[in-house]
Amino acid sequence: MTSTGIVLYARSRALPQTVAALAATTVLAVWATHSLDSYLDPERRVPVVALAPLVAATAIGSSLHSASEELDRTAVRPWWRRRLTHLLCLTALAAALLPLAVLSSAQIFGPPAMVRNVLGCTGLTAGAAVVLGARLSWLPVFGYVSAMYMGVSGLRGTSLPAWAWLLEPGAGGGAWATAAVLFALGGGAYAVKGARGTP
Amino acid sequence: MTTIQVAGLHVRHRRTVALDSLDLGFGRGVHGLLGPNGAGKTSLIRVLATVAAPSGGRVRMLGEDIADPRGRTEVRRRLGYLPQDFGYYPGFTVREFVAYMAWLKEMPAARTPAAVERAVTRVGLADRIDVKIRTLSGGMVRRVGIAQAIVNDPAVLLLDEPTAGLDPEQRVEFRELLRELGAGSTVLVSTHLVEDVAAACTEVTLIAGGRLAYRGTPEALTALGAASDGVGDHPIERGYTAALRAHREVAAR
Repeated sequence: MTSTGIVLYARSRALPQTVAALAATTVLAVWATHSLDSYLDPERRVPVVALAPLVAATAIGSSLHSASEELDRTAVRPWWRRRLTHLLCLTALAAALLPLAVLSSAQIFGPPAMVRNVLGCTGLTAGAAVVLGARLSWLPVFGYVSAMYMGVSGLRGTSLPAWAWLLEPGAGGGAWATAAVLFALGGGAYAVKGARGTP
Repeated sequence: MTTIQVAGLHVRHRRTVALDSLDLGFGRGVHGLLGPNGAGKTSLIRVLATVAAPSGGRVRMLGEDIADPRGRTEVRRRLGYLPQDFGYYPGFTVREFVAYMAWLKEMPAARTPAAVERAVTRVGLADRIDVKIRTLSGGMVRRVGIAQAIVNDPAVLLLDEPTAGLDPEQRVEFRELLRELGAGSTVLVSTHLVEDVAAACTEVTLIAGGRLAYRGTPEALTALGAASDGVGDHPIERGYTAALRAHREVAAR
């Protein structure tokens, strides 16, 4: 029953669909990266490195919803371990899959930037799930990524500010630190508090 | 023997006081929890279900202090809870949903399949056990909720508006189930349906404005109705309104 229970938990959080969504995002990202335009123009990798983590974080955020939140709170075992495992497993999967799309670009917007953005976007989404509920958890990260993407032309220079971590081309330490803090804070808040209950 | 002991319980929702220094004790049997909307019934049930923390006071259940994490864990193993709106996973069958709740209660794996079938049979859904919950009627979904609440044979069963959505025949059957459960457990039923209390409960607790307004047996409440000028079609309804008015008069002084 323990394994059955885990399977039921996975189904209750739509984990099979979430994994499928992450796989589909990866396929889409690989296709987008290897299209003719992006091959000729490495700068075209920005959409992939910015948008693929957004889509992945949105899928992960949706899986944080519990339909029976009130009953879940009567569970014998504290929830934080399950929530943390849930979030870490999906984030690890996204961080393992999405860099496949940018393997040929090791220096500029390559795998490190993709992993960093997965961490930052997922952290933002997990934190938003605590405040807004899982169903609306995509909103802040969507707003942030959209604002960054549309304002990308205004960001020039060798070093971007900390809030522009999403668009740092290389393996900048500041951008990594910001993304890691976002993941630690958002993920930690979600593990402790869980997603806000919504109808 | 008292299985639930509430002392000085205080619950506040922002600026609203939901429960105001409530002292109560419940033993084995079926206890009806009555009161108008906003009286504090659901607040009390949620604190006892360990899903909401009180702002003050102490609660001991089954010999454990639920403020203590270890005690709370022990209580949860022996607790059944049906919230007003319990939510369910659309893709789950009745069997899967009840089994999932059994897993959350950490029931022994070997016992779970039989316990799930027994609980579902007790609420009269044996023929629908492998049907998706989303295809069931509102009354049937409510019975699924009751099944998950009793799957672990709880020592304390908390039911918030359990008969909402049940048709008259289902309510009669549910009262019979309540009487059966109350023989071995402490069952607390929050309801607006006074006739359910008259038919199935061994004791009545009336809460108004977050305070205890009346305690007694259904027979005593019925007698109060017969001897007073309360409003209602049934003697126990008249007793309910008379007790409520008396409490309000005292509170207004």
